[in-house]
Amino acid sequence: MTTHAARKPAGLERKTARKGWLFIMPAVILIVMMSFYPMVEAFLLSLQTGTGNNLTYKGFANYERLPKDNTYAAALGNTFFYLIVQVPIMLLAALVLAAMLNDRRLMFRGFYRTMIFLPVATSLVSCSMIFLQLFTSNGLINSLLLNWGWITEPIPFLTNAVYARIVIVVTMLWRWTGYNMVFYLAGLQNIDSQVYEAARIDGASAAQQFRKITVPLLRPIILFTTVLSTNGTLQLFDEVRIMTEGGPGTGTATLSFYIYRITFERVPRFGYAAAMSFTIFVMVAVLAFIQMKVGESKQ
Amino acid sequence: MKKLFALLLTLALLLGAVGALAETTITVWCWDPTFNIYAMNEAAKVYKEINPDVTIKVEEVLSADCETRQTAALSSGQTDSLPDIVLMQDNSGRRFLDTYPGAYFPMDGLVDYDNFASYKIDKFTSDGKRYAVPFDNGVAATFVRTDYLEQAGFTLADLTDITWDRFIEIGLKVKEATGQFMLVTQAGYADFVSMMTQSADFWFFDEEGKPNINNNPAVKAMVETIVKLHNSGIVKEAVDWTEYIASFNNGTAGSTIQGCWIIGSIVLAEDQAGKWGVTNIPRLDIEGGVNYSSQGGSSWVVPASSKNKEIAVDFLSKTFGASVDFYQTILQSSGAIATYLPAAGGPAYAEPHPFFGGQKVFEDLMSYSDKVPLVKYGVYNYEARDEIVNAIEAVFNGATVEAALNDAQSAIEFIME
Amino acid sequence: MKKKRRLVIRPLRILKHLILILVSFVSAFPFYWMVSAATNNTADIILGHIAPGNYLLQNWRTLTESGRIGPAFYNSVRNAVLLTISSLFISSMAGYGFVIFRDKWKNRVMGILMLSMMIPPAATLIPLFRMFSQMGLMNTVLGFMLPSVATVFLIFMFRQAAQTFPQEIVQAARIDGLGEFRIFLKMFIPVMRPTYAAAAIVTFMNAWNSYLWPLVILQSPEQLTLPIYAGSFRGGYVLDYGAIMLVVTISTIPMLIIFFTLQKSFVQGILGSVK
Repeated sequence: MTTHAARKPAGLERKTARKGWLFIMPAVILIVMMSFYPMVEAFLLSLQTGTGNNLTYKGFANYERLPKDNTYAAALGNTFFYLIVQVPIMLLAALVLAAMLNDRRLMFRGFYRTMIFLPVATSLVSCSMIFLQLFTSNGLINSLLLNWGWITEPIPFLTNAVYARIVIVVTMLWRWTGYNMVFYLAGLQNIDSQVYEAARIDGASAAQQFRKITVPLLRPIILFTTVLSTNGTLQLFDEVRIMTEGGPGTGTATLSFYIYRITFERVPRFGYAAAMSFTIFVMVAVLAFIQMKVGESKQ
Repeated sequence: MKKLFALLLTLALLLGAVGALAETTITVWCWDPTFNIYAMNEAAKVYKEINPDVTIKVEEVLSADCETRQTAALSSGQTDSLPDIVLMQDNSGRRFLDTYPGAYFPMDGLVDYDNFASYKIDKFTSDGKRYAVPFDNGVAATFVRTDYLEQAGFTLADLTDITWDRFIEIGLKVKEATGQFMLVTQAGYADFVSMMTQSADFWFFDEEGKPNINNNPAVKAMVETIVKLHNSGIVKEAVDWTEYIASFNNGTAGSTIQGCWIIGSIVLAEDQAGKWGVTNIPRLDIEGGVNYSSQGGSSWVVPASSKNKEIAVDFLSKTFGASVDFYQTILQSSGAIATYLPAAGGPAYAEPHPFFGGQKVFEDLMSYSDKVPLVKYGVYNYEARDEIVNAIEAVFNGATVEAALNDAQSAIEFIME
Repeated sequence: MKKKRRLVIRPLRILKHLILILVSFVSAFPFYWMVSAATNNTADIILGHIAPGNYLLQNWRTLTESGRIGPAFYNSVRNAVLLTISSLFISSMAGYGFVIFRDKWKNRVMGILMLSMMIPPAATLIPLFRMFSQMGLMNTVLGFMLPSVATVFLIFMFRQAAQTFPQEIVQAARIDGLGEFRIFLKMFIPVMRPTYAAAAIVTFMNAWNSYLWPLVILQSPEQLTLPIYAGSFRGGYVLDYGAIMLVVTISTIPMLIIFFTLQKSFVQGILGSVK
């Protein structure tokens, strides 16, 4: 890029640079108006306490309140549980599936790919409803386990906090693994198949090929999907609202769910909800920054 | 390309344009086509004869969505989008009235409140003013499989006017005789938390609206009762609403204790016709405990932003607030049981119900309606219930009732501070 | 030697197929269940029937009775298509601009824009609603579209893709006297078709599923969208699960059509954008 710039006369460069802003401005103006302006409003809101429209400025009172809030602590813990358990499993599964499907000699390749992508087409609402039905105490999963004699009592999948969190993780895995797999498949097509041939001749096993070739060469894509999934998981909301309403107790509630709840389903404390949103904002920003640094440093 | 884009935008604007509304159109938000939407449309027919210039336009909006839209409108001060009449859950009443003072239109003097069950009116009373016309009845009752009772050697009378301890005894026998659960509830027992507390003439708040949880005899007895129910093994704890309904539709559970609107789901199982009975609910064994309570139900409110609020209230008071015949019609077609007390004298309420073995179910339910303890609902009903449900979960996991309720008390104080 | 190698590889290959068949089954089964439930009535669904039933027509009648499914479907398609077209246009223009006219200020601007995707939507909903209702954008498609016309995710995707776009082409076109905007229209867009396909799928999917924003901004019944219509079946005291599953099944059809028509390009498109 710099070489092109160097060849151009300085005046022309400035002129085209100015034209460049014309391309960017519509999007920038829209994002400033539709995201940054409401974010500033939300930040000002986060400095006010009270219910409904009866708000007064109280500095950082809302932020000081957060560490004392048990529901916030529970939601924060659950959110990180989802993040730490779901994101790595999903990305690893997506990678392995992509590596399997990357084999051009594999029969039914297109069929497998289509099947695995199918969940992405279902809406969040239907996906949550389907899994709810599968995991209720007389749902399909329990019926099968009972029939096979693996269990004697139905497993309380959705009424026990630990199981319920796992079911939510499973639901997310179902819906998003195929989505991420397609990203990896695309990336793998970029890698010359001769690289794998050479490795095979050198006696590298499938696992070694995966570790030594696939993962390093896909690093930029893995980074991209990691940042996206982290953001998505920290803002997880629909699945929880539809499947468990955050329960049992606060067993499955996430931060976004809690924010939604105190904005729309309980006595509205907009300032407090806004303060909570900014804690998510900071967490996403910090994690994205760390992930980018880690991703780049190993390149 | 620019032209194309401009064209697209114009197209979008054109497609999105809304037609102007006629001056005498009353817009209504409610959510159930076979229930409250049906009732509203019937009311529109009645009012057409009183005031032919007014058209009632019913828009189907999910209950939770009604609340989201009202929150968005009221908190941003942009209330043009609100309709003239909204149906609101009784539990949400005080929350909206107190959070947005002046946002709803008081109806004192415009509606004859003497004819309504007082427990209903109180749910929409704020600062001494009354803001709603009560709609469906949330009076609680025990709906039970009489054939299960018979198999264990009991009758409906044995289940009437009893305590929860007696209910558990009978339940154990029924489970032994039939192999099925005696009762079904949604996991977390949230419905019982409020139903039982109210049945002993207590609520989660005291007269001044302060949280009253850890020193509240009814709450303590309620939690202990729920723990007993949970440990007895006679209760099917359903994960969600589907499973809840399924449990009695497929015979897994022999009874449900719920607001009377549950009838609509019970009669779905046509093969069980004649096998059901209705009686009052068990009581907490403490002073003031009675066999009557309420659960759920909803009422009509009029946003103060409505340009036709006088007409809207006039419409409500002359239909939902004045017509015995109207309530006969909607009871027969939709099973909507009134909170308008004179309606009970109408012929439809005295009809024997074939699904319940000829019992005059509606008459019985209306008679319970009058005896529901009048408790003072608060603004933070849902929050208090959430915390008590959390406390019960803690007790299930080994905490003592006292410690769990102390935690709930401080949690709700924390929210309200 | 050769024979032996084959013997080692075969079981691995079978294992691979077994895993893929299992994963395909797990992926497809809930989907099958959804379609099957759309042909059953509430009682059968509640009792856990897996096989297709014969209530499809009855469920269909339930949906068509109120006459709302048609308009809701039309509105959803219209909203999603208009949003996808305008969003792809605005965002790809920006992504292109960030790369072709790259300088340190634009890089900084891009970095700042990234922050906009990190705030939960529930937090900005009320300020946005206030702004839009003051501007008279309630119940308009424009009101629905504006908040998500320019998204950082898409700009990022197009920015990455544009980095593979040869600068030489741009230079040559400039020398031929083509305007900057024409270069973008005539040279960039055709070459980047795969990226556009990928972006279209993602944008269409988000627009198609969006619930909270259309709920508050498109309040008039004439503007009803499919997810909100589907939700209305979950509102009553008595629920009709057959009808719910039929709405849900119908609402996946456009997603499937979009996916299958753009599938090939999608795979290539993401390739371009993440290089």
